[in-house]
Amino acid sequence: MERRVFRAMGTEIELLVHADGADAALDAAEQEFHRLESLLSRFRADSELSRLNRDGAVDASHDLLRVVTLSLDGRERTGGRFDPTVHDALVAAGYDRTFDEVASVARSDTWSPPSAGGEVTLDGSRIELEPGVRLDLGGIGKGYAAERAAELLATAGPCLVNAGGDIAVRDGSWPVGVDALTLELSNCGLATSGRDRRRWQRGDRELHHLIDPKTGEPADSDVLRVTVVASDAVEAEIAAKALFLSGAERARTEADAAGMPAVIVTADGRTLLAGGIA
Amino acid sequence: MTSHTGRLYALAFALVVFFLAWALVAARPWSTAAADPRLKAQAVREARLRSEARLVNRVVAQRWTLYRRELHARTVQIASVRARTAQLAAVSIAAPVSGAVRVVTLPPLTITRTS
Repeated sequence: MERRVFRAMGTEIELLVHADGADAALDAAEQEFHRLESLLSRFRADSELSRLNRDGAVDASHDLLRVVTLSLDGRERTGGRFDPTVHDALVAAGYDRTFDEVASVARSDTWSPPSAGGEVTLDGSRIELEPGVRLDLGGIGKGYAAERAAELLATAGPCLVNAGGDIAVRDGSWPVGVDALTLELSNCGLATSGRDRRRWQRGDRELHHLIDPKTGEPADSDVLRVTVVASDAVEAEIAAKALFLSGAERARTEADAAGMPAVIVTADGRTLLAGGIA
Repeated sequence: MTSHTGRLYALAFALVVFFLAWALVAARPWSTAAADPRLKAQAVREARLRSEARLVNRVVAQRWTLYRRELHARTVQIASVRARTAQLAAVSIAAPVSGAVRVVTLPPLTITRTS
C-alpha cells in the first residue's frame, strides 16, 4: 500500500492506495486538491469563489457550479441547517483569515451577526448572488475535493482519501478510526463536524466555525462532534453539519430514521451510536 | 230695477272672466321653464360617476377573485414545500449509504476528526 500526506485547503490530506507504483495517480490526486483549492478557497483573492463573492456574479467553471449546486441542494434538504451563505457570519465572528492566523488576532467580544439564507441564482453556468450574499464552501469543498481525488486515485487501485476528516473511499474495505470505534468502510463517504477544533476566543466567549444560519452565530449545540457515513463525502459533510445543529437527541432520531450511520459525541462526554451502528 | 241689477251682475261676471283670462295668459302655460345649466351638468356628471363606479366595482371584483385564487394556489404550494422539507429533514438529509459500514476490531488505517 502506498501513502502520501500533504497540506491543502487549510488541512492535512492523506491519500492511501492499495497498489504499487501508483505515483502518477497519487500526483494526479494531489494536483486535483491544489487545483480545486485555487477555485474554491475564500482566502485566495484570485480564486473563482472570491471573484464570485466580490462581483456577485460569475460564469462559473464546472467545479464551482457543481459545488454550489450541491450546496443549495443540501440547504434545501436540511431545511436550511446546512447553508453556504454563512460567509459573512463567519467573517463577522472572526473567521476572516486562514485558521492558522485567526487565533492570533484580538477582537472585542461583541459583534453584529449578519443573517444567512440569501438568494443564489443558477442560470446555466452563471451563478448570481443576491446583493450582500457571499458563499463559504470550505467544508463541502473538502468533501468534493476528496471525492474527485478518489476518482483519480481509484485508477491505480482501491483507495481512501482523507481530507482532514472528510473521507472518500473507493473499492476495498477500509478500517477508519472514529473516536474509540473502528468503522470498516466500503464505497462510501464519511465526514466529521464539531466544535472541538477550529475554535477561537473572542473576549470571554469561545467561538467555533459551525454557524447556525438562523442566528448567524456559532451554533449553540449540546453536540461536541458528529461523524456521519453517507453515500459520498459531500453527502456526509452536509448531513454532519445538519445533525450537529439538531442537537444530540434529535440527531440520533434523524440518523435512525434515515438509516444513516452516525457517531455522536455530546459535550458532556457521552457517545451515541445511530443509524444502524451498534 | 231688475234690469239694473242684472247689468251689475253681468258686469261683475265679465270682470271676473276678464281677470281669470288675464291670469291664465300671464301664466304662459304653453312655455316650459328653462332648465338650470348647472343642474344639467351635475346630472351628467352623476351619471358618468355612476357608470365609472360600476366599472371600478367590476374590476375590483375580478381582481379580488383572481387574488383569492392565486392566494389559495400559493398557500397550497407553501404547505406542500413545507411538508416536503420537513419530511426530507426528518428522513433523508443524506442519500442512503450504498456501501457497507460495520464496526470492526481491526487497527484503523486512518482516523477521522473534526474537519
